[in-house]
Amino acid sequence: MHEFNWGLLIVIYLFLGGLSAGLFFAAGLANYLEVDGQPAYPRIARMGALLAPWPVAFGSALLILDLGTMHRFYKLFLHFRWESPMSIGTWLLTLFTALAFVYCYAWLPEDWRQKLFSRLPTTWKLIHHLNVDLSAYRKTFAMIGFPLSIGVGIYTGVLLGAVSARPFWNTNLVAQMFLFSALSSGTAALLLALVLDRRNPVEQRDLKFLVWLDVIFISLELFIILPYLIHGSLSVLAVKQALWLILGGPYTLVFWVFFLGFGLLVPLGIEVYELAPSLLKGKAFHGDRNLALAASALVLFGGFLLRYIFVYAGQLSSFHRMGMLR
Amino acid sequence: MDIRKRRYALVIDSRKCINCKACVVACKAENRVPIGDFRNWINEERQGEYPKLRIDFEPEQCHHCEHPSCVRVCPTGASWQRKDGIVLVYADDCIGCRYCMIACPYDARYFDEESSTVGKCTLCSHRVDKGGIPACVETCPSKVRVFGDLDDPTSRIHELLATRRYHVKEPQTGNGPQLYYLV
Repeated sequence: MHEFNWGLLIVIYLFLGGLSAGLFFAAGLANYLEVDGQPAYPRIARMGALLAPWPVAFGSALLILDLGTMHRFYKLFLHFRWESPMSIGTWLLTLFTALAFVYCYAWLPEDWRQKLFSRLPTTWKLIHHLNVDLSAYRKTFAMIGFPLSIGVGIYTGVLLGAVSARPFWNTNLVAQMFLFSALSSGTAALLLALVLDRRNPVEQRDLKFLVWLDVIFISLELFIILPYLIHGSLSVLAVKQALWLILGGPYTLVFWVFFLGFGLLVPLGIEVYELAPSLLKGKAFHGDRNLALAASALVLFGGFLLRYIFVYAGQLSSFHRMGMLR
Repeated sequence: MDIRKRRYALVIDSRKCINCKACVVACKAENRVPIGDFRNWINEERQGEYPKLRIDFEPEQCHHCEHPSCVRVCPTGASWQRKDGIVLVYADDCIGCRYCMIACPYDARYFDEESSTVGKCTLCSHRVDKGGIPACVETCPSKVRVFGDLDDPTSRIHELLATRRYHVKEPQTGNGPQLYYLV
């Protein structure tokens, strides 16, 4: 391939789609967890619900902008082709975005909702019928949204992984890698929002929950990336050649130093360092605001780089002899 | 004859190719391919150093695969395959997402900036449907390409594939390419 058919807009979209999936999942989870019959993390649940729909909505707009003929994007909705990951993804993304907005609405504080509707002309009666309290259905929406958010998280990987002509993508590990990266990015975004929201003091319990969750997701991501590298290195020539792109080729530095180092291991180190005293020595968790800020920003940076590396390096890989390995 | 009973393909005898690029020019003229884009091309492979060297020319274009991955990934069905095997793009349904270009193992598609849709070799279906042959086949001075119907036992292509050794490119992709290169 002489040029990149998919560029930065696709990278940003894949990142934002995953981010929303992660935000929704983490917030939904927080919504379900209870301590003594009381919601354990109401602030996280609300924050995530309010944030979740926006990245994916913005990302989808970018996706349409990237089309050669964007005025024809509606044709995506006139067809359903189960063999095409993009077709399935279109529907999945639409359903997820719609549900994320409904969920966001269900979490809207009463006064915000009233303020929103008071700005609309009173003659729009149909719209004013929508001014209802959906807070009783939050759990139902979250439950419907879990599989959709997981689906969107996986789909961003399947979109690439299903392309048999590109050995860099075409392994059964890319989908999971993107999913765990998405969940980790969403969790990190919540962490970032939590510490940046200066109006309310950061509760240690909220912080601990998010740090915990992120450690789990980053670890899962690592457990996918290592076999990806090992299996690829031991695979057939086409895959080996493809992997050379990050093992000596043009994307080596950005993969090892910036993504794996700064985007994954450093934040994991920070988060484990924060958690360790409370886990090993039974001390009370005392998270540092600045460390949480650094870790979450780095995780988001890493999540973006993962998409960047995969979109670009994947397009360079092919079954042709690439002149790197003989 | 019923279109469903045909399977068009090309046999290519690369050793006859002299890299004159008449096929490329004929294709561009016949199909009004935009400047800078190509529906067919000639691969050059050099071996050795002067004065002991050889160079091989190998014409290539869309392989009109049996199981085309470009058709599979297309979200709108704009990329489609006729019953006779020819893979086409229905431009009206093409949204220009370029997924098919990425999915093609042979990089046989291009993005037409003018129409903002994807273009590719049509095997000159407009000529074939009138009983003609593709422009690249017709114009080749050294008769490198042989076009025909694999399901017609009396065709030249059928005879060549029955009597000569051949290979296809990148069969491991599972696409079932239909450009047969004689050995």
